[in-house]
Amino acid sequence: MKYLYVYPEKCTGCRECSVACALNKFGECNPKKGAITVVRDEFARYEVPIVCFQCEDPVCLKFCHQNAYTIEDGVVIRDEDRCISCRMCAVLCPYNAVTTMDGEIIKCDLCGGDPVCVKYCSTEAIQYLDETEELEKRRKAMAERLQEISAQK
Amino acid sequence: MFNRKLGIVDLSKGKVKVSDTPDSLRKAFLGGRGLNSHYLYKMIDSGTDPLGPKNVLVFGTGFLTGTLVPNSSRFNVSAKSPESGILGDANCGGYFAAELRYAGFDRIIVKGKANRPSILYASDGKIEITDAKDYWGLDTTDVQLALKKDLGGVESAVCGVAGENKVRFACVRTGVKNAAGRCGLGAVMGSKNLKAVSAWGKDGIDIAHPEEMLETCAELKDYLMKSKITPILGSVGTPLLYEVSNAFGAIRTKNSQLNAWSDSLNAEEVEKYVDKMIGCSSCIVHCRHRNSLGGEGPEYTALGLLGSNLGIENTANVIELNNVCNELGLDISSSGTYLAWAFELYERGIIDRKVTKDELQFGDFELAKKLLHDISRRRGFGDVLAEGSRNVERFGPESKDYLITVKNLPQSDPHDVRYMKAFALGIATASRGADHLRSRPTLEIFFKLPKEVRERIYGKGVTNDPTSYEAKEKTVFFSDNIFAAIDCLGVCKFICHGFNSPHFVDYSWMKRLIHAASGWNLREKDIEEVGKRVIDTERMFNNREGITRKDDTLPKRYFDDPAPLKIAMGHHIDRKEFDGMLSRYYQLRGWTADGQVKAARKKELEAIA
Repeated sequence: MKYLYVYPEKCTGCRECSVACALNKFGECNPKKGAITVVRDEFARYEVPIVCFQCEDPVCLKFCHQNAYTIEDGVVIRDEDRCISCRMCAVLCPYNAVTTMDGEIIKCDLCGGDPVCVKYCSTEAIQYLDETEELEKRRKAMAERLQEISAQK
Repeated sequence: MFNRKLGIVDLSKGKVKVSDTPDSLRKAFLGGRGLNSHYLYKMIDSGTDPLGPKNVLVFGTGFLTGTLVPNSSRFNVSAKSPESGILGDANCGGYFAAELRYAGFDRIIVKGKANRPSILYASDGKIEITDAKDYWGLDTTDVQLALKKDLGGVESAVCGVAGENKVRFACVRTGVKNAAGRCGLGAVMGSKNLKAVSAWGKDGIDIAHPEEMLETCAELKDYLMKSKITPILGSVGTPLLYEVSNAFGAIRTKNSQLNAWSDSLNAEEVEKYVDKMIGCSSCIVHCRHRNSLGGEGPEYTALGLLGSNLGIENTANVIELNNVCNELGLDISSSGTYLAWAFELYERGIIDRKVTKDELQFGDFELAKKLLHDISRRRGFGDVLAEGSRNVERFGPESKDYLITVKNLPQSDPHDVRYMKAFALGIATASRGADHLRSRPTLEIFFKLPKEVRERIYGKGVTNDPTSYEAKEKTVFFSDNIFAAIDCLGVCKFICHGFNSPHFVDYSWMKRLIHAASGWNLREKDIEEVGKRVIDTERMFNNREGITRKDDTLPKRYFDDPAPLKIAMGHHIDRKEFDGMLSRYYQLRGWTADGQVKAARKKELEAIA
């Protein structure tokens, strides 16, 4: 299964991902309306992209009184027709990944398997990757780092 | 809506008017620098005191600012310049311009003078004028942090202490280091008692053809990323130019007494101080260095003007001076030029301790740092230096011979132009004074560029030799026009055709991006005409302030002192050849032999409303 992975250390803060997402979903250029958000503070010196993790046991789904959320092929999907825009999902999301604006709920659906945000990132700070492969890569990187540390001692 | 509003603020009366920009004006100038210049020409009478209430200060975003278009982060701040006394204008990146558009505004025009320190807060299509008592006296970072604390996630364009004290080369700053640096526009803010313009908004920019914009921008991004120069700019930024220029002998050193300097300021040395490369809004290049000394930068300009030009070799020292200028809100190019000028005048005995108080010398980092603080607070000799090139009157006529300015504006970039004749014509004719960002014909020094490519871009007869004067007016004419057009679009010059690359965003790309965004079907020629219109409008402003052919000249040193070092050794600008090049440039522009915009053209441009 493929998911979005973010790399804050590569993120430059430009928000092309959010703007592309909003343009794709709503026809407007508006970083605040993207289902992916870059939290950035150039004074505190950080840039962190925040995106829905597509949880296996998602709080948004569990607490939706309207049963607007379903999981389809590993992706947490909101049914617009069932949704009454109560914003409960956005309030409860532990990662603040669900956004609301003017009564509109904005929730990443991975663009049906071809996430638009990834295409506009110039540093690969967002990648759409197979979970197993990616975790293997990360474990390997961690193991190598541990080797380095033990070699230093 | 794709269009945003025009806000006109009268600080004297405390009134705000919100209106629309007529389509006829937008078609003629698109936005950004072009529309700003149009308003300056219409709204400022000749002879207006730049630091008086009658000066008009414009914050104008570009046509494409805040969209998906790569590098569309930019805005221009414009007013009559207190530094040069002619057209003042500076282009700036960061996040403020996009936020201003999301707040509902394309442009804010500020008139009059507030009776107490004030800020403007734009949000949801409205502008409030509020008290800035608690913000006055703060450095540029502190004031932005305070504004974020008090107003929420605002982006702000602010002046520093230097602007408050009307230092004639104070900049407007947004973020950690983005500056509308040139022409003393921070001093205009200070003179109006305006500490900051803040914006916050969630009003997205409706795009005429969303699919088309998504596709065109993806294609453009891939095209730009494939270029050799994009990844280099994204990893080392503009410092890469330092080594290139130094190899030629084209680095302004010790007030241009020398033309080459230490390798300690090469990009690889600077890189040791870089924590992360970051970008402006919508930027795919990300050339901004977050430095480990607490700030951002340095750019090539800082390395040259606060490094080699001051005789400072230590990389960390140069980065620190860069950070100090940013905090105080001082223009780095002007600061480095005036300090170096004073150092040389002191060495030559043209000024002495009666004026300077301290002993001045090149290479003295602590002295330079102290003087920057003193300038910003107008203390001691700093108060004198804060007057910039006006000090020629105080220091005596001989001092002018050593001042690296054109039309009273210090040269912006560290390029010693004695070797590169087209660069020389560019800074001599730029509409705001000595400046490379108006018209630098960079391809001049792309030696490996095939002749046919060079001629296709610049025109017939442009040689492969930077030292030749032949047909060089064409290179400046081309660059001046296309850079004006991209400034109107609010897109960074770094992705503009001819600025860093023989490829990148040309009129054909501009046409496609404009169509996707607005649905307008412009021809490439129409966009080129926008650029020409901007140049002529700016010239009309300057003509009205008395600018003629006599002012389109160079610092005396570039004519009379041959460069002493490296490849450029022995090169200088020949007055007669320069004069010929200038005449040919006027012919291309359709200006009179004395450098005036002709009456018919003037009438045509004045009729645009």
